[in-house]
Amino acid sequence: MPKWENRCKIALAGVGYSKVTRSADLALAAHALEAVKGAIADSGLKMEDVDGLSTYPELPATGHAEVDGISVVSVNCMMAMLKLPNLTWHMQVGNNNIGGAVQQAANALLAGVCRYAVVWRAMHNPKGTYQNLPGAQAAGATQFTGPFGFGGPGQHMAVAYTRYLERHNQSRDKMATLALTQRKHTQHNPHAFFYGTPLTREDYFNSRMVAYPFCLYDCDIPVQGAVAVVLTTAERARDLKPKPAYLASYGQRLHFEVAGRIGSLADYMEGGASSAKLTWERSGFSPKDVDVAQIYDGFSASVLYGLESYGFCKQGEALDFIQGGRIALDGELPLNTFGGSLGTGRIHGLWHIIEGALQASGRAGSRQVKDVKVSFVGASAPIVTGTTFIFTREPY
Amino acid sequence: MSDWSKVTRPAPVPNEWTRPFWEAARRGALELQRCQSCRSFQHPPYATCVKCISVDLKFEPVRGIGSIYAYTIMYHTGDKRFAPAVPYASIIVELDDAPGALMVGNLLGAPVSEAKVGRRVEVVFEQLNDDITLPQFKLAAPRKSTAG
Repeated sequence: MPKWENRCKIALAGVGYSKVTRSADLALAAHALEAVKGAIADSGLKMEDVDGLSTYPELPATGHAEVDGISVVSVNCMMAMLKLPNLTWHMQVGNNNIGGAVQQAANALLAGVCRYAVVWRAMHNPKGTYQNLPGAQAAGATQFTGPFGFGGPGQHMAVAYTRYLERHNQSRDKMATLALTQRKHTQHNPHAFFYGTPLTREDYFNSRMVAYPFCLYDCDIPVQGAVAVVLTTAERARDLKPKPAYLASYGQRLHFEVAGRIGSLADYMEGGASSAKLTWERSGFSPKDVDVAQIYDGFSASVLYGLESYGFCKQGEALDFIQGGRIALDGELPLNTFGGSLGTGRIHGLWHIIEGALQASGRAGSRQVKDVKVSFVGASAPIVTGTTFIFTREPY
Repeated sequence: MSDWSKVTRPAPVPNEWTRPFWEAARRGALELQRCQSCRSFQHPPYATCVKCISVDLKFEPVRGIGSIYAYTIMYHTGDKRFAPAVPYASIIVELDDAPGALMVGNLLGAPVSEAKVGRRVEVVFEQLNDDITLPQFKLAAPRKSTAG
């Protein structure tokens, strides 16, 4: 299998963050604007240089209205705020989550239809219950789940997790290592919601159960916030302010899913494996070449499904793989070095992509892993919306 | 054991693909969509066979006996309608007659600690209203071993 002809022709060269808050004190549009302006400033570009926009404007909370600027921030909303004089391309994606928006922006840059693309992800925390079951009536796919008290993705992932634990004879107690390690990493990320808030083993084991096997600290906390990136061609990136991170390859899940069919562990495994296969083949790398990994952790078990389906360890072994300091900043495979979603709050996978790029370009500050050449990102749960990326320090 | 008596469940809205399933349940029978080409069962119903893309699909009766494929025990009381039943077990069941077709239900009449992957369950029918009856599950007698 030949490597991707476009590997390292696109670079990530600018990152931005809004303030991450628990409640929606500001309109979400204001968060998105802060993140986008931050990313443009980080890159050293001027507003008039930006000519591409892309996002995934989705509200994962169920039973709440999607209101542009309040609960989602569409491309149209961003166009209205920025009034870019030189805009030539925009796109919002409907699936593959934010990883799909990043891939579309890379494709547009490769096609030459824009020069500097900004991608953002803005996440709203609505007032009241985050995941509502259907109302009095359950239509569509929910007719087979809602009547039985199945609500949001946490419960969906929890059923796959019980199958995982009991089929592989594993213990959920081992997951404490992931939660604690990531919270430790969070203390090096001042933008994160849980920056300044440590987590102890006792906290983990004494926390309330949400949907067994998930306790409170297996779930990322819903927050209001946004992050953004600037992408451009590798050639242009060399003239920008920060050291670029080169996009060696990307992939997306190819395994299809049937709406309303939940609990299938195989769907996670086949989804992740299909996306990773593209990413390994296009880059020419394999899991043993990876120096640092960011793997989506909206719910902790997603990391297990990722580690195994991407090929970092064998099926059923991830809970043992993460023990013994292996995933610490100085470990064999430093993992979710920015704290993950468990540390930053629920901003979805663009923050994983940001960290993958920062680690590749040596810009991760006090959490920088030594000698990173190859940086891997799994930007969503391997099922449905799964995408994967590899960034490198240098083109090759 | 979960007290379901005070829970108001959202009522399923049958559509053109799912109506035969709900009509069978109302009669106290379990019927799943079956591909007439490759003979595999699937659930939830879909426009095509998800294995062989045939569109020749019919609903056929299956025995309501199977195993818990996966489960979760819900403790969070976000939805107040289900709060009286917390903690409750939501289970995914793979029927003996329909491997790969995963049905969702609650484990009724047993403590949530009885929910385990592989545990044998059988269908019971819970009438929700005049139009809708939910296939639900209770623990079944263990399968007689035929091994020597």
